[in-house]
Amino acid sequence: MFLQQLANGLVLGSIYALCALGFTLIYGVARVINFAYGELFMLGALITLSLMTFLQINFFVALPISMVVIAALSVLIYVATVRPVMQGPHVQALLTTTGVLYVLREVGIFFWGTAPREIVMGFKGVAEIGDVIITYQRLIAVATMVVLVVVLYLILYRLRIGKALRAVAQNRAGAEAIGLNVDRTVVFAFVVSGAMACAAGALVGVLYAAEPSMGGVPLLKAFVVVIFGGLGSLPGAIVGGLVIGLIETFTGGYISYAFKDVFTFLIMIAVLLFRPSGLFGARATT
Amino acid sequence: MRLATAVVLVALATVAPSFLGDYQIYLLSLTVLWAILALSMGILLGYIGEINFGQAAFVAISAYVSTLLRQDLGWSFWAAAPVALGVVVICAALVGMITMRLRGPFFVLVMLAFGEIVRLVLANWQDMTNGPLGLRNIEPPEPLFGLTFDSKLSFYYLLLTTLVVCSMAIARLVRARTGRLFIAVREDELLAEFVGIPLMRHKVIALCISAFVAGLGGLLMGPFLTVLAPNQFSVFASVDMVVMVVVGGVATIAGPILGAVFLIYVPELLSFARELRPAIMGVMLILVTLFLPGGVLGWMEPVLARLPLLRHAAKSGGKQ
Repeated sequence: MFLQQLANGLVLGSIYALCALGFTLIYGVARVINFAYGELFMLGALITLSLMTFLQINFFVALPISMVVIAALSVLIYVATVRPVMQGPHVQALLTTTGVLYVLREVGIFFWGTAPREIVMGFKGVAEIGDVIITYQRLIAVATMVVLVVVLYLILYRLRIGKALRAVAQNRAGAEAIGLNVDRTVVFAFVVSGAMACAAGALVGVLYAAEPSMGGVPLLKAFVVVIFGGLGSLPGAIVGGLVIGLIETFTGGYISYAFKDVFTFLIMIAVLLFRPSGLFGARATT
Repeated sequence: MRLATAVVLVALATVAPSFLGDYQIYLLSLTVLWAILALSMGILLGYIGEINFGQAAFVAISAYVSTLLRQDLGWSFWAAAPVALGVVVICAALVGMITMRLRGPFFVLVMLAFGEIVRLVLANWQDMTNGPLGLRNIEPPEPLFGLTFDSKLSFYYLLLTTLVVCSMAIARLVRARTGRLFIAVREDELLAEFVGIPLMRHKVIALCISAFVAGLGGLLMGPFLTVLAPNQFSVFASVDMVVMVVVGGVATIAGPILGAVFLIYVPELLSFARELRPAIMGVMLILVTLFLPGGVLGWMEPVLARLPLLRHAAKSGGKQ
């Protein structure tokens, strides 16, 4: 039982980690909490589904295409609703991204209706590793996530623009002072974040279901993970995601399934009160 | 808002329903109820400068406590009301003392978490709250001082009276010393603290007042809708309140009320807008934040100032 819960927790945790990565990237670079993030996740799932249905293509062919689409949408959101208010009171960016949330959700309902759909990845069968039962589909999904995370790391640590991104996240003024084009860097962050959200959404659509209201919970969970791991920290998002996934699975299994979300939120509150910078976050400056 | 304008509007609101059918009265009542809730958010957003995505939790606590006292223990509405309000204010004080020290986005997230926790507890504590199905068959308030509240019209007057009294009280508060202290805190926290204003105390007091008004809304919500369910108190309910305040006009009293009219009353009149309501709300939120920081009221003010009868008193700052 314990090992099964462990496995389930790790699968859930990697989903949470993937959700949180894009979210924390934007916060790190733009200091903005993107309330519309969950809707990018949702549209990623639905667009992938539609591409597969109408173009009769495989999941792994549809996914890169939808990632490009969502990345573009993400940049549009940045330019139209985030960039104008980024430097002002934090409340304004919250308000505009919340507005985008509503609009995108309606778009989802309008084009796809409210019924949940399944995205079929095409792998059937179940693997049995000792006492642990896990579907092949889940294993492939986790493998996909790992690949995406590795690619992300390569981008951020090998490519020049990735280094620029980290520089802007650490010190925006300093980055500008040495001649980095901050705006382009932030655009790049939104591109990557959108692509990550899309992939996470599509994978959740495979493992669970895709429907227009699916963005709400991942958004909230992304908050928790990112607070826990440290706002703006990528290792924090990954470790935080896995830890929260495990905590949630274990409290759900051993204590109470109904109240597991309550525990998760209480953890977030506790972290905010006692260690606001999270596990890996930098100590807060003003 | 000039006294004359306010009196005229209140008079209109009082007299109009006598000529309107049941559906219109229901619609007006719903608008007034949301105006009360929006007003509660307006206190926080306009005068302290913070969004509370967990505001719906205060509404829920008041609604559930009062209804459970009435249904399970047989209390009268008028006995349950002060108890429910007391519970809400105490919760707000506790939450406030813990969270008010957090900066910007962190405060928002904690209040969001608080809101979600309350909703989840209400949805899962089957024994107490009947879980997701919620509480049903909620009766109108018992008669008081010879006034009955059974009919839709009489309940509408109860709602309207609550709204008017709250607005007046808040108007008094804003002009008084406490109100000006709130504005000082909102404008520049560091400076306010420097000149000796006890920061935390005032922020917590503002949260408690805001919660109290939200609690009033919650009290009236039960009998009005006759059904209470946890999914009515999600983050989106709090966001609705925020949208009303921002669109109507932040840092004013008429603003949230106007926002409620725009977002509840107007869409119902335009039936095609019903399905699109969230999208319209979203678009309005974006446009208003980007282009009309003072909300519709702020935008209309120069126009209204030209009309002698409706001349508005200049609002200090008028920014969020």
